[in-house]
Amino acid sequence: MRTIVLLLAALGVLVLLPLFLSPNLLNAAIKMMIAALFALAFTLAMGQAGMLSFGHAAYYGLGAFAALHLMRAVEQQLFGFPTPLIPLAGALAGFVFGLAFGWFATQRTGVYFSMVTLALAELLLTLAPTWNALFGGESGIATMRGPSWGISFGSDADVYYLTLAWFVVSAWCMWAFTRTPVGRLALALRDNEQRVRFLGFNAHVARTLIFAISCLFTGVAGALLAIANEAANYTIFSAQASANVVLQTFIGGAGTFFGPALGAVIMTFFARVTSDLTRSWLLYQGLIFVLVMLFAPQGLGGLVALHARRVRADGWKYLVAPYLLCLVVGLLLIAGLVFVVESIHVVLSDAYTAQRTAAKGDWVPYELFGRTFEPASPTTWAIPIVLLVMGGALLQPARRITARAWLAATREVPGDPAAPVGPVAHAEPSPAAAAGQGASS
Amino acid sequence: MEYIVVSVLNGVVHGLLLFMVSAGLTLIFGMMGVLNFAHAWFYMLGAYVGFTLTRHGGFWVGLLLAPIVAGATGVLVERYMLRRVHKYGHAHELLLTFGLAFIIEEVIKLFYGDALVSYQMPDYMRFAAFTIFDTNYPFYRLFMGAVALAMFAVLYLLLTRTRVGIVVRAATYRPTTVEALGHNLPLVYMAVFAGGSALAGLAGAVAGAFYPTGPSMAVDFGTLVFVVVVIGGLGSVVGALAASLMIGLFISFSVGLNVSIADLLGLFGLGAWAQDIGGLFTLQLSTVANSMPFLLMLLILLIRPAGLMGDRQ
Repeated sequence: MRTIVLLLAALGVLVLLPLFLSPNLLNAAIKMMIAALFALAFTLAMGQAGMLSFGHAAYYGLGAFAALHLMRAVEQQLFGFPTPLIPLAGALAGFVFGLAFGWFATQRTGVYFSMVTLALAELLLTLAPTWNALFGGESGIATMRGPSWGISFGSDADVYYLTLAWFVVSAWCMWAFTRTPVGRLALALRDNEQRVRFLGFNAHVARTLIFAISCLFTGVAGALLAIANEAANYTIFSAQASANVVLQTFIGGAGTFFGPALGAVIMTFFARVTSDLTRSWLLYQGLIFVLVMLFAPQGLGGLVALHARRVRADGWKYLVAPYLLCLVVGLLLIAGLVFVVESIHVVLSDAYTAQRTAAKGDWVPYELFGRTFEPASPTTWAIPIVLLVMGGALLQPARRITARAWLAATREVPGDPAAPVGPVAHAEPSPAAAAGQGASS
Repeated sequence: MEYIVVSVLNGVVHGLLLFMVSAGLTLIFGMMGVLNFAHAWFYMLGAYVGFTLTRHGGFWVGLLLAPIVAGATGVLVERYMLRRVHKYGHAHELLLTFGLAFIIEEVIKLFYGDALVSYQMPDYMRFAAFTIFDTNYPFYRLFMGAVALAMFAVLYLLLTRTRVGIVVRAATYRPTTVEALGHNLPLVYMAVFAGGSALAGLAGAVAGAFYPTGPSMAVDFGTLVFVVVVIGGLGSVVGALAASLMIGLFISFSVGLNVSIADLLGLFGLGAWAQDIGGLFTLQLSTVANSMPFLLMLLILLIRPAGLMGDRQ
């Protein structure tokens, strides 16, 4: 009941959101929702059935191109088709290719399954730029959204509501799917395929079906992207795109249902914001991946679930202060690192080198964050050093305090054998970890 | 005739380069089960170390230090990162190395910029080894091939003829037994990872002087090295060599061939029909040469999943 109220509240916020967002943010919100849907669809195969597909961009791209071809046909008035239903084309393309490719891929398990899916996606990536009729060569194909049902679909707000509707329907379908007998079978396949076969199920057919359903919703996400962008080219098939969804899923937490969507939303937003601010944003993104994998292997959703499960009702009063301390330490370290990286960026840039040549090799001041700094002066270097040293010195005490607070906050939870030492470093093996092990077997 | 000879020569050298890059990965992937996505980025690291040291000490210093730097990085990565996430399974290891690939590439770009750097071989190595069909064949290509073959010989002898090799191979099959016999298994893993990374670093220093050295050099090899390892069979150095040569020859031959499926069907009188359909039927083989390795990998995985020389699934 509480969950339903929460979900309805979230839906209400999402419906009202376009009234408050700038056009740029509205566009970002559309992309975030599409990424979330993609991640949810991917998790259907990964989290539920333990199939680590490394080529899901193939079905994403095929869904997008199917939608584009349908839109183009409507635009050329070959036949009429309502714009809001165009994602059905993506769903169909995703499902059909998911069945066909999945039939081959699911003959193997574990690493080999990942390799087959990767190869299929790479095959599409290398074929697409040369196959003009279908993928429009290197430039791709572009088209226009047509008006239908009395809606023009000219503005981003229209597209936002269309995406939202498809997102809600698809997410509900996927959630409902996990409750069906086939959905339960997916979990069983992940945990013990041999036993599933022994019970008389055809494991290969079941895996193919689950994979294809995952591809179906992936195709919907791709089609929504095509509708939002009105164009696509071959780069949509790149291994980068396939890897992105895997990373977002694991950052969000593959073991929870909504975790992957959370991860996709956060990482898409992060990419959107930081790629405008700095050229090294991929460095920061890489650091986030590594840190999450090292210190929160069950992902953000896993952390949230852990807190929901373990922290007592009055436990938060122990945790607030330590978490604030951790936040401060984290910010100190991040600030120090960002200062170093961005300074190096500016000082080694061509523009700065030109300035130095103009000043006959002197270390001229450089501009960063709207202020000027002297590269050769010790005060400039003191800033990151002080930040990093302070953060580093506080790191261990902060960890100790947090660990103690965690013990206090989770003590006397009924049915709890032994409270973990820290919320992060020694968390119990989560479903995400189990999923990873399932994929490796 | 000229086409065949030149294709074979280029294919073999390209294949040997591929072997240099992927030899380390087949050890890491096959023996530790780690899907090290960052492997090609160690190759890139080696090339940039070679480039830097060529300016400050000479080509041969770079060649010597590039594997050491890459290997040392490998030690840090294995000891402080991979070992921690090992218990969570393959996916976490893969994603960790994926993040690592970003970090290596971006840090290199931070210091060297987005453009290509001019990493050159020493002038006394810049001459034609022989002339074939009016084409001068550069000596450096032969040098790269020789380094790759030497690498193969050393690796093969090390793994099959020495005690160290026996322990490493045993650790692949029966890790707990090896540990029970008193061998330091974490040390073995660290050594394998460091060695594999060092090989990639050496490959980078050697090949970077001939091929363009730039920020995209790792991405080009990123997935191809996995193809080599899977086709060759996990952990098999011989298999990796065979697979690399196969892929190298496949690519170099298909680049020069302008045939399509429609032409093939034409032999059976179906050419016109295929031309009408177009699409996949009229794609020239030369334009899809880059798809060949993946097609090959699919075939191998479906026919012989353990790879050419692999003995496990």
